[in-house]
Amino acid sequence: MNRGENRPRPLEIIERRDPPTSSINDSIVTLTAIGAGAFALLFAVSLLAGGPVQLYGGALAAALMLLAVAVRRFFTGRYPDVTAVEPRDEPATGGAGVSVADVEPVSPRRSFLTRALIAATGLLGLSLLAPVASLGPSPGDTLRRTKWARGVRLVTGEGDPVRPADVATGGLASIWPEKGIGHERSSVLLIRLQQPPGSPTRIEWVVDDLVAYSKVCTHAGCPVALYRERDNALFCPCHQSTFDPARGAQPTFGPAARSLPQLPLGLDGEGYLVALGDFEAQVGPALPRG
Amino acid sequence: MTPLFAWLFDTLDERLGLRSPSRKAANKVFPHNWSFLLGEIALFALVVLVLTGVFLTMFYRPSIEAVTYNGSFELYRGTTQPAAFESILRLSHDIPGGLLFRRIHRVAAHLFVAAGVLHMLRILLTGAFRRPREVNYLVGIGLITFAFAAGFTGYSLPYDSLAGTGIRIAYSELLSFPVVGDSIAFWVFGGDFPTGDVIPRFFVFHVMVLPAIIIGTLTIHLLLVVRQRHTQFPARGVDGHRFVLGKPLWPAQFAESATLMLWVGGVLALASILVPWSDITLIGPYVPGEVGNNAQPDWYMFWVEGALRIFPAVEFSVFNLMTISGPFIAGILLPGLVFTGLALYPFIERRVCRLEGEWHVLTNPLEIPLRAAFVVGTFGFVLIISAAATNDILSRLTGVPIEAATWFFRITAVVVPPLAAAAVYVYSTRRLRRRGRTVATNEQDAMRPYLFSAGSSDDESMARSGSEPEPEPE
Repeated sequence: MNRGENRPRPLEIIERRDPPTSSINDSIVTLTAIGAGAFALLFAVSLLAGGPVQLYGGALAAALMLLAVAVRRFFTGRYPDVTAVEPRDEPATGGAGVSVADVEPVSPRRSFLTRALIAATGLLGLSLLAPVASLGPSPGDTLRRTKWARGVRLVTGEGDPVRPADVATGGLASIWPEKGIGHERSSVLLIRLQQPPGSPTRIEWVVDDLVAYSKVCTHAGCPVALYRERDNALFCPCHQSTFDPARGAQPTFGPAARSLPQLPLGLDGEGYLVALGDFEAQVGPALPRG
Repeated sequence: MTPLFAWLFDTLDERLGLRSPSRKAANKVFPHNWSFLLGEIALFALVVLVLTGVFLTMFYRPSIEAVTYNGSFELYRGTTQPAAFESILRLSHDIPGGLLFRRIHRVAAHLFVAAGVLHMLRILLTGAFRRPREVNYLVGIGLITFAFAAGFTGYSLPYDSLAGTGIRIAYSELLSFPVVGDSIAFWVFGGDFPTGDVIPRFFVFHVMVLPAIIIGTLTIHLLLVVRQRHTQFPARGVDGHRFVLGKPLWPAQFAESATLMLWVGGVLALASILVPWSDITLIGPYVPGEVGNNAQPDWYMFWVEGALRIFPAVEFSVFNLMTISGPFIAGILLPGLVFTGLALYPFIERRVCRLEGEWHVLTNPLEIPLRAAFVVGTFGFVLIISAAATNDILSRLTGVPIEAATWFFRITAVVVPPLAAAAVYVYSTRRLRRRGRTVATNEQDAMRPYLFSAGSSDDESMARSGSEPEPEPE
């Protein structure tokens, strides 16, 4: 086989201009790359800090434009300017193709400038992640509180306040805070126990054999919606966590590791059930810290 | 060729130069085996998903705002429902063709994931992931995860009671990430669950982001198959290491694929009139604070759901800095571990079994005890924890208490997969020894039984010749 057939043909270059070695050009690349990185950081920081749109928008514009200048000067001032021809009827594939034109940069400080450009691009890429924080509010202590507070009335799904006599013996009701109907983390189960509860139920929070527990499973946050009469247990249909309402709603089986928090119950002047405060224990699934 | 088609082809050929590439495409050889059609079925299911999905998007309202349903379905007429749920009621009961396309979309989603998973199992069992195809194997693992994500977001969109439960648990799973879980959950959901943002966001992911990612990834997947050529099963007297044996695209493979596509469409249409897939009128809308019995997700999420059910009650704090909880271990770490194991397996097998060179001919997994044991162990485990997602239903059907059913799955999930893997390992090792063989470390050795027993091929190029680039081990 003729080896010449396999050797790539050289690119047909008709004009080539080598730029003069210029330390000024290299400095421009360095400075614009550093500037692009700095503005990218400023964009991220001012966006996260809630700065004015002119500031972070302008910083983004400056970062992109400076990076554009850096990339342009990285090539134009440092690589030979080559003009070449390619035949139009060349078959798309086949043969060994055409060799890449020999265009080595004229400046020697190649690795540093390349690194500066990569660093600036990387910094810009990272900074563009800053808007992710805008996707949701900061959690703060939102998940440590519910809509229950001292004096908040217990109401049904329809918004009717509840008197102790409304719940029959062995009865069970789904309850919301007065101004939080539909706020799942505040949902509560109101239970009339058959006999007085034992430890660790807080007796001082029980009104007339009525006890209230958070309805949100401490495993994966499903409503503990079922009451199993066989053993008077609260049962979560999602993952079968089982709780004992007569004993502080401690988990007795399944994947839940914590008791359902007990809501401090009391009565207001008109004889309606109210909360004496928010839950003391953590409601719902585990929080990521603490 | 009809004159019209010939004229059209010539006209285009003069401008685009189609003749040579299309002849090349027509002559592309496709190896033949029923199991090679699993990936194709997934592809055609995706085509159906896109077509029906476009129709559904014309009517769906991505909002949970309360609206009144005034359509023709008696049970819900005059009731107030979340807009997403109401728009699907209207689509299903007041728009001609709406119910059919919705059900076809739903069944096609099941088929897409099922065919994808079986395709992956085929690749794993036969060793089609070996060098030089590791890259495409990883692309395929990515496709499976995107398919799961598309399935889950689609399952959530009707905002029915089951969707609400799925979204709720997904929120708790995000929340379970140590240290940063609350921020992640708030970023995805736009705040404390339930928010009005989750449905519009899932909608954008389901109809735009994930389809774009899936179609892009699938294009890479198929281009790589074309570029690297298809694997094939060993055939008597054929040097599969150097030649692809099969039927050309035109007309045999074209006929087969076209037929298969029509069959897929036909079976999906038939299935959609036989089974009322996810009838939301029976499930009812999402209601805050409520969840019913039989809260199962779609089947491909059973394994994660089952793991959540049977994982013991665990929750502990590490130096008061972070909380590690059962939902994190069972719902995030465990699936992550399974997928990492699947992604790493090709590299583990190559190293452990000291495989050399490139592999284009598929092997019986019993010829490689490690692989047989890995697949049986992994998929056995996934199947058992999938079954555990039905512990409540099984308990009700059999009368066994839920506690006993859960303990049964806890024990089997831990004990059975390692035992089954060990049994398969011992069996396949003995099988190799009985036949006087060891694990073949290069493709020539693996093909030897097939090449020598034939001995009839006169064509020198088809038989194994001494000019192989790989050195002979003996």
